[in-house]
Amino acid sequence: MKEIFTMWRHTQMVVLVALSAAIYAAVLIPFKSFAIVPGFIEIRPANVFPVVFGLLFGPAGAWGSAIGNLIGDFFGSLSLGSIGGFVGNFFLALIPYKLWGAYFRNRNMETNVNSGEKLAVYIATTIVASLACADIISWWLSLLGLVPFTVALALITFNNAIMGSILGPFLLLALYPRVKRWGLLWTEIMEPDEVATSGSYNTGSILVWFGSIATAVAGVFLGLSSGGPNATVIGFGLLIPLIVILIGSFMLGGREQVEAAELMDAEEETAQVR
Amino acid sequence: MAPSLYLDRDTWIHRLDPRTKMFLLLGMFVLAFVFLSPVYEAVILLLVLFFGYLARSLSNLLRIWFILVVIAVFTIILWSIFGSGRTPLFLFVEREALLYGISIALRIDATVIAGMVFLSTTRNEEVAIGLVRLSIPYRFAFAVSTALRLVPTVAATGFTISEAQRSRGLDLESGNLIQRIRKYLPLLVPVFISTVRSTNVFSMALESKGFGASAKRTFYFQTSIGRRDVVVLVVFVALLVVTLALRVAGYGGLEGFTR
Amino acid sequence: MGDASGALSVRGLGYRYRGGKGHALKNVDLEIGEGEFVVVMGPSGAGKSTLCTAFNGLIPHFLRGRMEGDVFVRGRSTREGKVGEFAQEVGLVFQDFEAQLFSTNVALEVAFGPENFRVDHEEMERRVEGVLGRVRLTGFEGREPATLSGGQKQRLAIASVLAIEPRILCLDEPTTDLDPLGKLGVFQIAEELRQREDVTLVVVEHETEETLDADRIVILREGEIVADRPAHEVLRDVDLLEESSVMPLQVTRLFKELGVEREELPLTPQEGVEEFRRRGFSVNPERHRELIAADEERGREYGEPVIEVEDLAHRYPNGVVALEGVDLTVRRGEFLAVLGQNGSGKTTLVKHFNGLLYPTEGHVRVGGEETGKQGIRKLGQRIGYVFQNPDHQIFSDTVADEVAFGPKIRGMEDDETKERVAEALRAVGMEGYDEEDPFGLTKGGRQRVAVASVLAVRPEVLILDEPTTGLDYAEQRSMMDLVRRLNEAGSTIIIVTHTMWVVAEYAHRAAVIRQGRVVLNGTVREVFAEEEVLRDASLRPPHIVSLGNSLGHTVLSVEEMLRATEEG
Repeated sequence: MKEIFTMWRHTQMVVLVALSAAIYAAVLIPFKSFAIVPGFIEIRPANVFPVVFGLLFGPAGAWGSAIGNLIGDFFGSLSLGSIGGFVGNFFLALIPYKLWGAYFRNRNMETNVNSGEKLAVYIATTIVASLACADIISWWLSLLGLVPFTVALALITFNNAIMGSILGPFLLLALYPRVKRWGLLWTEIMEPDEVATSGSYNTGSILVWFGSIATAVAGVFLGLSSGGPNATVIGFGLLIPLIVILIGSFMLGGREQVEAAELMDAEEETAQVR
Repeated sequence: MAPSLYLDRDTWIHRLDPRTKMFLLLGMFVLAFVFLSPVYEAVILLLVLFFGYLARSLSNLLRIWFILVVIAVFTIILWSIFGSGRTPLFLFVEREALLYGISIALRIDATVIAGMVFLSTTRNEEVAIGLVRLSIPYRFAFAVSTALRLVPTVAATGFTISEAQRSRGLDLESGNLIQRIRKYLPLLVPVFISTVRSTNVFSMALESKGFGASAKRTFYFQTSIGRRDVVVLVVFVALLVVTLALRVAGYGGLEGFTR
Repeated sequence: MGDASGALSVRGLGYRYRGGKGHALKNVDLEIGEGEFVVVMGPSGAGKSTLCTAFNGLIPHFLRGRMEGDVFVRGRSTREGKVGEFAQEVGLVFQDFEAQLFSTNVALEVAFGPENFRVDHEEMERRVEGVLGRVRLTGFEGREPATLSGGQKQRLAIASVLAIEPRILCLDEPTTDLDPLGKLGVFQIAEELRQREDVTLVVVEHETEETLDADRIVILREGEIVADRPAHEVLRDVDLLEESSVMPLQVTRLFKELGVEREELPLTPQEGVEEFRRRGFSVNPERHRELIAADEERGREYGEPVIEVEDLAHRYPNGVVALEGVDLTVRRGEFLAVLGQNGSGKTTLVKHFNGLLYPTEGHVRVGGEETGKQGIRKLGQRIGYVFQNPDHQIFSDTVADEVAFGPKIRGMEDDETKERVAEALRAVGMEGYDEEDPFGLTKGGRQRVAVASVLAVRPEVLILDEPTTGLDYAEQRSMMDLVRRLNEAGSTIIIVTHTMWVVAEYAHRAAVIRQGRVVLNGTVREVFAEEEVLRDASLRPPHIVSLGNSLGHTVLSVEEMLRATEEG
């Protein structure tokens, strides 16, 4: 996870945070009035962006999505709920690039969704990231007693996963080659030693999956059982699987993607010299 | 594109240090979360509105009233269904669940209005400088403020793009859900490309102006906690303490509600 | 190694971008002395911007490509320090002003550089005030950059660099995206800077008319310097300029065609008038009348009215009146230019033609029917609208897909669509590019794709908003020749533009909008004869037109002037 801090050294990454945030917020705002759960959860094509930002810009995409969502709230619905949105959107962008690298390590890791396998992995990661994002936000909203966990969870997961799955592959297909040409993929900007390594990709992936699903299941169960626990129980009970997601993300590394990009660059350079 | 909510008025709230305003906002959030009873929540809402009145910012309610009403209605319905209590009211709705829904509706509206008052009285650059002064790393604060500066620009680009594509025959209103979602591609791709394309120029312009030239930097915008800030902080902390004491003493709760 | 003590000293500089095909710069040698004013010109892609980024060490420190040779800034090699260290010596203003404003208000934007260099607060206030005064933005301190006009933004970008107080200032195409008034503001600042002896000025420019005061002009072509001589010498070398995709001065070209020696060629309209009289040339009234007769003849050949505007007013929801009392008729086969400052209402006017806007008062009829009854989708069938920036509409992976978007979304069969795509690509001279990635093309290429994608719907009328912005002279010519061919093949053309020579040479009719009203409307010749009215609308006719007007006969191009001129 250290790349989410080391990335700030690079001017380009800082700019990408700002630009991603601005794009996300600017596309979010016009849809403010079509909210499904007004004020908190909205139907919005913009929701495709965090996953795409994450896969292209890595940690800059994660910060950009988090800040972008917060700025979106600045235009009408800034409240304590915004903190959950900040963290949730951060993970919505972070988990996809982490899982992607873990799955495709030692192979072609380009995030351009141009094969059946890549499409399947893309959709799977989008779903788990949507779920994790929904877990975090729903947990926070129900902890504050604002929206029932189940309602928030269902709507956020659905919205993010649908937008991500329908629009995302096309968007990535269109954007990846251009971003690569301009040298703006995070793997090209950052240096390998600035990114964490991992010795346990599989465990990490499993933990992220397990944590995301467990939080959802536990939350729904606790939320539905009538006469059941109050906010404090939901709060503390769900913290455990949420921490599992966090630990899983820590274990996923990311250096292999940066190294692969460097290798590819070197190959292209030699090809040109010849 | 709706420009930012900021209203350039000269009230004492506008003149507070951004850190004080951030603290007040947070304090308002806490106040809104102390009580569960509709009456007490209504008092908090009135307090927030009073602040808005002092800040001469209530005209912004015209911009967000719709969101506020929808939030309220939705929240009340949601909790009437999902909550449960002791006293049946009609169908499967209990009295306590309805009251809880009303409390939460008031709570959310109070926090959203508090956010509105904050944004009506605080310029974007004050947000950024406030973050820096609260020891948030400069580069993070820089990203936030640059994003704030760019939102209207990206939105204007988005508007032009939608005009260009509508001129070519794009019609977002027809088709089933999936077709309609996919029709956003001709809008989202150019918005992304024409914005991200400038990343390198942006970065070069930054470095050409000495961004990161030295570890420390000075600040043009001066902020200082003045006497007014101290008075406001003291009064507000006292208010918080009294409120919490009331709650601990058992006031403002909602008996018999479970979810 | 010789003496590298000038302001800037470039020795054998070569550069290749990472992943780039060839060298962006090849073996460039350039010496710029303290206080000099040097203009760099050349075609798109010649390496002009790359050269600028070498001046403050962005090459080699920021851009990761391969650099050969050295650049010395006041004696110090850029290889020896970071960008930040040279930023105080060399100020760089980039072409894209939108992408160099980061701050939420004007004063903070100016203070940004000094903040990074740890200038203390009092000094910072002094600089902000002083610099904003110099770029005439005093009173704008609290404004958000997004609310400024293009010209103001560019001036702010310059101010934010001046605040660092660099001794060397490099401006990369500072006026490309600006309207005439915005350009004027930037030129005034440059003028004042060049009069200060302690500032060395390097400007990349494509408008020849603005290079008259330079000490030297450097011409780059394919990464190499092909000329580095005193400005007036280069400006008189008409062939060299044309080979370098730079528009020669019209007056100079006229006298060259008239057989005047190179050393004696006049540069400005005033010099031209004197030289014209001194050499005993005169305008033959008979031949000038033939030109007018040709205009009239063309006017009789137009078809029925396609667009009729009657007493149109447009009021935006916020109460701003953008248009008032506009009457205008566009006939089939016409080529109309709509002129005016940004904010004059010219874009608002043409947006009424395809249903992006509807009148708040008065009538706009297309094909005899009110636009309000037709809607944008139906109008789009008859009226094609090409927006200024092709990147605001291109989204497909291949050129063919992009062009097919219009026909497809209107429900055409695959065969029909294919035929339309082929036809449209042929019309813009891009056959064979079907499978190319549109984003890999040059700006001119992308512009053509945008035109093709509108043509594929086979509209009767084609509206082009600023079709020549950001293109070099050769690309502008080729773009406008394309538009002329479309017009001759039967399309009605409406262009919105600031480029006056384009209007003079290509359009048939012009309408000048000022503050929401049509102040001039007639043949281009009639409109350009009214230099004073144009000046009130902050427009300036091309040099050759001014020359003709001074001699009492309005001509529109060097060729026309040649035809009308008699010797002795």
